[in-house]
Amino acid sequence: MTVGAWLLAAAAVTVAGLLGAWHAPRLWLAVTLAGCAAALAAAVWVLAAGVPWEWRPGFLLGGEPVHLLLDGVSAFFLALLAVVGGAATAYSREYWPDAAHPRTAPSGRVWWSVLLLSLGLVLVAANGLHFLIAWEIFTMAAYFLVTQERSRREVRQAGWLYLAASHVSMVCLFAFFALLAARTGGWELGPLRGSTGLAPLFWLALVGFGLKAGVFPLHVWLPSAHANAPSHVSAILSGVTIKMGVYGLVRFSGWLPVPPEAGWVVAALGVASAVFGVVFALGQHDLKRLLAYHSVENIGIILIGLGFALIAAAHGYPAWGLLAFAGGMLHVWNHGLFKSLLFLGAGSVLHATGTREMSRLGGLWRGMPWTTGCFTLGAAAIAGLPPLNGFVSEWLVFLGLFGAVGAGGLPAWAAGPAAILLGVTGALALACFVKVCGVVFFGLPRTAVAAQAQESGPLMRGSMLVLAAGCVAIGLAPILFWPAVASAAAAWQPAWAANLHSAPPAPLVVLGTCQIALALTALGAVALLRSRVRRNGVVRAVTWDCGYAAPTPRMQYTAGSFAEIITGWFGWILRPERHVERPHGPFPTQAGHAVHTPETVLEHLVEPAGSAVLNFAAMVQRLQHGRLQFYILYLVIGLAGLAVIVLAGGVR
Amino acid sequence: MRFALDLLCRLALWLLLAPLVPGIINRVKSWVAGRRGPPVLQLYYDLGRLWRKGVVLSTAVSPGFIAGPAVAWVALAGAALLLPVGSMWPEVVFYGDALLFVCLLALARFCTALAALEPGSSFEGMGAAREVSYAVLAEAAIIAALLALSLHSHSLALAEMLTPSAGAGAALLAAGLFLVLLAENCRVPFDDPNTHLELTMVHEAMVLDHSGPPLAVILHGASLKLLIFSVLLAESVLPIGRLAPVAGVAVLGAAVLAVAVAVGLVESLLARFAFQRVPLLLTTAVLLCLFALLAAWKGGGV
Repeated sequence: MTVGAWLLAAAAVTVAGLLGAWHAPRLWLAVTLAGCAAALAAAVWVLAAGVPWEWRPGFLLGGEPVHLLLDGVSAFFLALLAVVGGAATAYSREYWPDAAHPRTAPSGRVWWSVLLLSLGLVLVAANGLHFLIAWEIFTMAAYFLVTQERSRREVRQAGWLYLAASHVSMVCLFAFFALLAARTGGWELGPLRGSTGLAPLFWLALVGFGLKAGVFPLHVWLPSAHANAPSHVSAILSGVTIKMGVYGLVRFSGWLPVPPEAGWVVAALGVASAVFGVVFALGQHDLKRLLAYHSVENIGIILIGLGFALIAAAHGYPAWGLLAFAGGMLHVWNHGLFKSLLFLGAGSVLHATGTREMSRLGGLWRGMPWTTGCFTLGAAAIAGLPPLNGFVSEWLVFLGLFGAVGAGGLPAWAAGPAAILLGVTGALALACFVKVCGVVFFGLPRTAVAAQAQESGPLMRGSMLVLAAGCVAIGLAPILFWPAVASAAAAWQPAWAANLHSAPPAPLVVLGTCQIALALTALGAVALLRSRVRRNGVVRAVTWDCGYAAPTPRMQYTAGSFAEIITGWFGWILRPERHVERPHGPFPTQAGHAVHTPETVLEHLVEPAGSAVLNFAAMVQRLQHGRLQFYILYLVIGLAGLAVIVLAGGVR
Repeated sequence: MRFALDLLCRLALWLLLAPLVPGIINRVKSWVAGRRGPPVLQLYYDLGRLWRKGVVLSTAVSPGFIAGPAVAWVALAGAALLLPVGSMWPEVVFYGDALLFVCLLALARFCTALAALEPGSSFEGMGAAREVSYAVLAEAAIIAALLALSLHSHSLALAEMLTPSAGAGAALLAAGLFLVLLAENCRVPFDDPNTHLELTMVHEAMVLDHSGPPLAVILHGASLKLLIFSVLLAESVLPIGRLAPVAGVAVLGAAVLAVAVAVGLVESLLARFAFQRVPLLLTTAVLLCLFALLAAWKGGGV
């Protein structure tokens, strides 16, 4: 079968799933999984062959000719959509069953199918109008999925914020595509690298797609939306839909000319997102909100790669530019895999305990060993540790940055600080995930619900295991995934194709061998130490607490205390709010200390700006009060003003 | 076959010599204080005894409590195998292995800190929090140092980067890396390895609940880490890679001895700093490495 046939099959069965979503959940699951498999097959076909698939059937849709295109870049993102979409679909059957959610489960399935279809359509549409339509449909479908629990106030607020931010993004994209169509004379999309007059449009695309991707400081909508959505929705939002922003940036920075400053701005935004994303994550107490901030961080890492690739393209350094681009693109896949794995793990915790508050969890490994294992693996991957996938992509980005420093010239001045800050980001992410795993899964249960937590069912476990296997596979055998990255790079920057024909520019085979050796040795060492411990004999005792004989679970270190050193360093941007209730009297009955990290950009930047606009509007509104005399006065003033203008003009 | 044999010999060398470094440091400290002090080989006896001992495990811990130290030890051994010994290059050299080295150290930190959170003790939580927080600054310093070395040697393979000396910025780099060595290995003035007050410990607090063979693995890993940092410091500052094999190993041994003596002297002459001042000192290390980077840049004629 050819690519077209696979895509047609994927679309057809997903539409079938859409039709059966309401009444036939089993059928829906089967055909949606089949659709994801078919889409994956099409994407792999294009990536392996390196030949784009194009289809112009010749009929019009909405007044524009249908034009579908699946090249290296879009197939790269389609593969991610298929894998994460499939895993999250299977997960949702058990996580959001009809029995527990009789009202929202059927409608959720319908919107889910709409979301998958429209995401796929965004990726294959090569006509600006169709791209916009598909983009708007997926935005709306995601809104209805985010607000499935809309009886809760914070869910409605999160949904509203998401909708507002999405439509600011949409306005920018309308302007972008409309101006593009006006300048080129048609909605047809395609490579137009020669027409340099189009370069300033990149800024519109950067705001529009950057808002969708959750780039700092445009990320204000992201944490609450991802935290309040059902977990399978959070997984696809974090794993795939924010990558659509990255897709837009990659797509149009490849097809259209970009201004010379583009790479610098993208790289700077990337560095800011990476560092501040992880810093804000450290300040969170809500498990899913914390993961959402890590999406900001990882989008930052992706944009560091893309930004330096743009700089390299502008200054003519294909060698290290290719490494940076490859690292950024591979991180798109990697982040999609481990972040959706982490969100599914967090959903499993939420399902079992009913809370996302880390200070109410703890000791979950006993009841939920599979979730603990998968989540810890995802945590090691997102912290960029060998031998997992996050390390491979961060390593490639690092190679690009070190190459830039070595090659000298203007980019070197930016690449040095970026490399150091990328290292800092990695260390901060490590600190954050030690905190999450330690507080949520290890130690003693802090509440009764945590003590009674039960492992989730086979579908939920299975989808987590599939994603975890993906993380391990890319980590241990990165060379197998290089052709995909190479064909994406060739589609993005055809001028670099010459660098792609030879072997990969980085020693991925040796790296993979080292990773496999590390993994096997580590397993061997663990087995050896365990057998030694067992042979020497084990005595169980209470945790050492300076001889204190009755430690309670509440005496454990909390997530807030763990992060306190680092959040103290970044207090200037985190602006934590402290609520201190001091003990009073000789026999105090209660005291309390709570720290809450707000969304600083939203509360200190966006909301003041919004209320200033509203205040101004209220001031203007005072002019309108219904008294006829004053309205006549306005008319007189207006006419007088006009007369002055006319008379002054007449003198000239 | 030859490859595997070489690798094993190198690994044995690293593993056998590592526990010697803390012994030398302790000998220097006792010598300055006018005490007789423990034997230089004390850590070997301790490790042997711990390996035979039974284990007391907290009732709260999962199997990962034992797996963590094992994985951390493997990561440290792997990092050691990427370093050249004198002018003898490691068996595995590839473009970018310097970053694998950094990330292997991070993996060791992740496993140790996560295992520390397993028993649910506040002391261990404090130790782990300090370890991962200070490592943020240490990591910045190491990346800056690697940038300086890679600029100077035009390479990103650890063996090639460490072959020449660090050039104009060698003194700055030495000072910066020495501070990182003290911080990462929890020595005075960042941490006191001899302290008995749980509230003020970093590394020792993390391993409070470990005992028996896992504790032996942790102690051996800590000494291995100290040796790794000493060798990294010596080879990045001195042009050891240009010497003949025997002379190279001899010079490296002397340099590591000098580093150990310096650590011992610092511990004898300084008190540990208050925790608020630790980030300042580490920031100094970052700045020193940054200046070394600037010097390398200038020297490279960019």
